[in-house]
This record gives sequence, C-alpha cells and structure tokens, in this order.
Amino acid sequence: MPNQSGNMYGLTILSPIIDDQTIRISHDSALRIYLKKLPRHEDGPFAKVSATHLCRLVVMDDVVFVGAPAKQEHLNSKYLVFSSNFYGDLDAYLADMAAKIPDVVNDIWSHCVGYPGVRDPKAFATYMKKCQIETTFFFAAVNDRTVEQTLRALQNKVEFAAFVEENQGKPAAELQAAFSTFWQRLEQLPPPRAGARELTRASVSEKASW
Amino acid sequence: MACTINLFRLGLDSCGRWAATGNLVTNINGKAYAMNAVTPMKPWKTPILKLVFFLLGAIKPLQNKLIDLSFIHFARWVVVKRSQFPRLASSQPPEELDYDYLLFFSNFNGTWNQYIDAFSDVLADGLNLIWRWSEKFPGSIPITPFKRYISLVQFDTDYYYDSYPYAAINDVKAAIRVDDAVRSFAEGSGKLTPAQFQQAYLELLVKVQPDLGAIGPAPVGT
Repeated sequence: MPNQSGNMYGLTILSPIIDDQTIRISHDSALRIYLKKLPRHEDGPFAKVSATHLCRLVVMDDVVFVGAPAKQEHLNSKYLVFSSNFYGDLDAYLADMAAKIPDVVNDIWSHCVGYPGVRDPKAFATYMKKCQIETTFFFAAVNDRTVEQTLRALQNKVEFAAFVEENQGKPAAELQAAFSTFWQRLEQLPPPRAGARELTRASVSEKASW
Repeated sequence: MACTINLFRLGLDSCGRWAATGNLVTNINGKAYAMNAVTPMKPWKTPILKLVFFLLGAIKPLQNKLIDLSFIHFARWVVVKRSQFPRLASSQPPEELDYDYLLFFSNFNGTWNQYIDAFSDVLADGLNLIWRWSEKFPGSIPITPFKRYISLVQFDTDYYYDSYPYAAINDVKAAIRVDDAVRSFAEGSGKLTPAQFQQAYLELLVKVQPDLGAIGPAPVGT
C-alpha cells in the first residue's frame, strides 16, 4: 500500500477552505494567523498525538504557473494541506487526534468546507478520509520505530556516551557494577518529551560531565 | 481564484479583506526543513509516472541512493489528478483544470542549498525520471535552472512539528544502532565474570564507537 512504509503511514489530506466573501478576515488568512501562533514544541498539540513523528499544515493558495508554453490555470478553492508521518494505523491516528486535541482540530478544520466537528469521531474520520489523497510513493528512512522508541534511543545513546567517558580505565569488577547500576537507572527513566527543543541529560551515570 | 492575497505583508486583499503576512513562514523546525512543491503534468503522462513509482517501490535497490543520501527523514510524492481535488459541498465551486499535479513533501536535514545541490549531484537520473513528466522541468543538471525551477514551484509551510527537532536522521539512525547494541549487551552480560564482562564491553565499544558522537547543533544557512 503506497501510503505505508513498514509501520509508518504517510497521510496526505487536502481540505478545501471556505471562501466567504462577506467576512472581514478570510478563512485562509485566519487559519494562517492561527497556525503561526500554535506552539510547535513539547507544548504543541501534536506532541499529544503520540504517534506523530513529523507533520505539517500548509495553506495552498493556488497551483503554480511554470511559464509558457505551459497553460496558466488556477484553483477555484484554496486548500489546507495536512501531511503527517506517523507510526501505525490511520483509524487509530484519527481517533487519537479527535480524542487528544479536539479543540485544536476544531480551530483548524472549522475553516474548511464540510467539516463535521470531532464530537462524533466516526464522522470526523469519514470527513478526513474524503479529503485524503493516496500517496503515490512514500519514503521513510526509519520505518519500524514508534516515537517513544526513537526518543528513548536518542536518550540512551547520549547517556551511554557519557557513561563510557566517565568510566574509562576502571577495573573490570568496578566497571561491571557501574554498568549494572547505570542500566537499571536508564530503564527507569521516562522517555524525553516529544517535540522538545533539546535533549537534556538526565545524569543517569555517577557524574554528569557531558 | 475570486481573490488574490498578498503574502508579503499584512494588508487588504483584492476583496478588501485582511490577508496574511510574509512573516508567517515556518519551513524549519530544529534540524528539519519542510519542503513542499507542486508541479503541473499533462494527464496522459500521469500513468507513466505512476509506473516509475511502482518500479521504484518494487525494486528496492533503486532506492539505495535515496537511502545513502541519509538526510531525509520522510519524503513523499502524491499525484493529484485534475478531477481528484476534494469537493465536499455543492456550494464549493468544482475545479476546472487541464493538468494533473505532482505534490512533493520532504523532511530533510541541512540547508535548502545543500539539499538541492546533493539531490542534483547524487540523484540526477532519479530526479529526471520523476520530474521529467512535469511541465517545463529543466533537468536536474545544470544546477542553476534546476534551483530556479524548484524555487518557482515550492510553497511555504505554515506549521511544522517535529517530535525530535534536535536530531538529524543520521542522529536517529546512530541512536538506534547504539540502543540496540547496548540493550542486547545489557541482557546478555548479567552472568558474565568481570573479566568476560570487560572483554564483551570492549567489543561493544568497538562496535558502537562510530555512533557515539555528540548530537550537534542545527546548521545555519539558506
């Protein structure tokens, strides 16, 4: 299925934006202004939709005229493009969006034609699927890890690098005991927060000089 | 379109409504750059392009250069047929298009110039195979008209979220290798004697050493 690569799903949604000539701020402009203010990091909405690796929202005003002899043509509607790269199944992902960030979903898609709201998650999923365009070719460099597994791997790499540096030259028995303690502490750590700007060290090993 | 908006500053559009400003561009989040591009294609060429993508998907070695480039998290190509733009209400005017459109979305690390340069240098044949069906595509070599074309067909991202913005895809791949190796080591080393442990630990270090470098800062550039 071209929407998927391994366990990753490439979702492409094109939602037509309402064109209302009678309002002072057009829906596409209001949407852009809203998106500009939407937090992008650990306090952002998609950090709560935990399957999301990377996603974007784009207002597509029109298609592009590439120059003669190509024909110049225009769209009759503007479209909100939602492109998400997530781990797992589409139905579960849409249900998660409706459950975890209903207000944000409403704020965004209420500018779009035919949006039914999220109060009925099935109606929301049906709407999103009507707007879905099947991916023709999807490439995912890593396609077998959840966001949490990826975040844990990044954390474990940083912590292990620090452990190696701090335990150089230790006698075998001491090294073995230090590693055992290190690994137990590391396993008990919560994963780093999705969307955070930086990966901060948790000082798992005995001294945090990294 | 009924109205055109000025994307470069806050002002009134041709219908007298407030339009968005040019300061709202957000293509970058940490180390990741979100690129969007749309190119027109004559509808009779669409099946050929779909065949190209089918072969690219079916014959995995054809993806090797894309994998080797190793600065792309996710990339996708989406063909939107001229009749396929969603129409969800009778009040929404139907699209009247002569072209199908190829949408391209990429999440890459590095600067825009580095990305286009590398694409052109390493994947010239592959890019030509994909975009030669789009109108006025100049070819990926020489670089100047190629960059001009990409600039023309690119459109900006309004909101970009990345779960691990501090990490390039190479950071992620390295972290997974280290995590897998250390996890396997931890599970298998519990009952070793100290001498055996030390030997196994050294072997682990030799294995993961290339991947233990620090996760550096994002590049600055264009």
